[in-house]
Amino acid sequence: MAQTFSADSHDTAALSQRIEKRWALLMVSIIGLLVAVMIFTGLHWAMMPPSRVETIDPSTLHLSGEFVESNLGSAVEADGSVTVRVIGQQYSFTPQCLVVPAKTPIRFRVTSADVIHGMLITGTNINSMVEPGYISTFKTEFKQAGDHLMPCHEYCGAGHEAMWANVKVVDKDAFSKMAVNTRRLTCDL
Amino acid sequence: MNADRPRLISLRNPWFTASAGALSLLFVFSAWVGFVWLPSAQDDALFKGLLNAICSAAGAPRAWLGEASPPVPPKAPVSSVVLTPGMLEGASAGGSIGRGATLALRCTMCHGARGVSAANTPNLAGQYAPSIYKELRDFQSGARTSAIMVPMLAGLGDQDLRDLSAYYAALPRDSAPEMYPAPDIVATGSPMRNIAPCESCHGAMATKLGAPWLALQPREYLKSQLEAFAGGSRHNDISAQMRNIARNMTPDEINAAASYYTQNR
Repeated sequence: MAQTFSADSHDTAALSQRIEKRWALLMVSIIGLLVAVMIFTGLHWAMMPPSRVETIDPSTLHLSGEFVESNLGSAVEADGSVTVRVIGQQYSFTPQCLVVPAKTPIRFRVTSADVIHGMLITGTNINSMVEPGYISTFKTEFKQAGDHLMPCHEYCGAGHEAMWANVKVVDKDAFSKMAVNTRRLTCDL
Repeated sequence: MNADRPRLISLRNPWFTASAGALSLLFVFSAWVGFVWLPSAQDDALFKGLLNAICSAAGAPRAWLGEASPPVPPKAPVSSVVLTPGMLEGASAGGSIGRGATLALRCTMCHGARGVSAANTPNLAGQYAPSIYKELRDFQSGARTSAIMVPMLAGLGDQDLRDLSAYYAALPRDSAPEMYPAPDIVATGSPMRNIAPCESCHGAMATKLGAPWLALQPREYLKSQLEAFAGGSRHNDISAQMRNIARNMTPDEINAAASYYTQNR
């Protein structure tokens, strides 16, 4: 085929150099943009929960440690923050109804006793995997009182669709009144 | 072919130095973003400092709880059985069926000569061994109460319980006529009310380690246990997995489930 531009070997080399440079610039810009998106969402949207890896034996949760049944639910800490401990198992969360105060630093500690589950709290950006052998820790704060649902969002077996919990966010005062009577709070029936 | 063509991978090739150089710079920058900058932006003491940030971002396991109030001990004994798939297998952990049969002589007046009886006690023939073993251990530890079972188990050691479980698991199940069609609560549960189908743990659809086979159990027994779970007077289910379900069931659903598994016997 006849070429439309001069077939002089020097011109061809210059042309291919220009094209190479443009493509290299384009590729580096795309990678740069992706890194920038990662930085922005990481800093401003908290898109990904930070990695807080912690391991635990899923078969002995009920024997000792912080995930024994009597220690599940919301605990008021000395600094006024609240720690909420939850177990996911086929096919329910324990406790089935979480109660937490609004406008208070909250720390969730969640783990699974059997297979991989997931939890998300509707209307918030709380969304985490719940894996056997690992404790999912994340911090949050609810801006206002209200009721939320907390479905398991990772297919966990034949009864997966029935696995969800309620989350009641109550006023700080109402919560501290509830906390007078008991050391671990839930709104289970 | 072309002997005097310059080598591609060489520091004298400006294309190579420029592209490899840019790539390494980008790599170092991205690594700094992922391992140092973004973790350090977290409001958590364990992310502060270069080493902490890098280890946390790389996923080195560590304790993230920090200051917290000590665990609240249980008010009543809870199950102390560790359920694992191989718990009753192998030379040391397995049970001896023959020895179990001898020990089972003390059980026959209620549970029948071959693990089936009309005494409103659970039929044990063909029951899963881990389920039997777990309940026996729970009776012994006080996690499950029974005026009859607790004294029966006094003096039996762990190996005795393994042998009994192996024996009853080895007996042939009472042959059922054809099972009736399962009611909704058994086949689909009630997902809108937090109730998984019975069959998703107790067989037919799926089985869960520790959950018993329920077919052809006495109606009164099933009903009373569901009610005990719902009311909380039975609490040896690990992490409340059965109480969570039973609490949400209506009396009609409890009746329907008990009748189905009983097959009206």
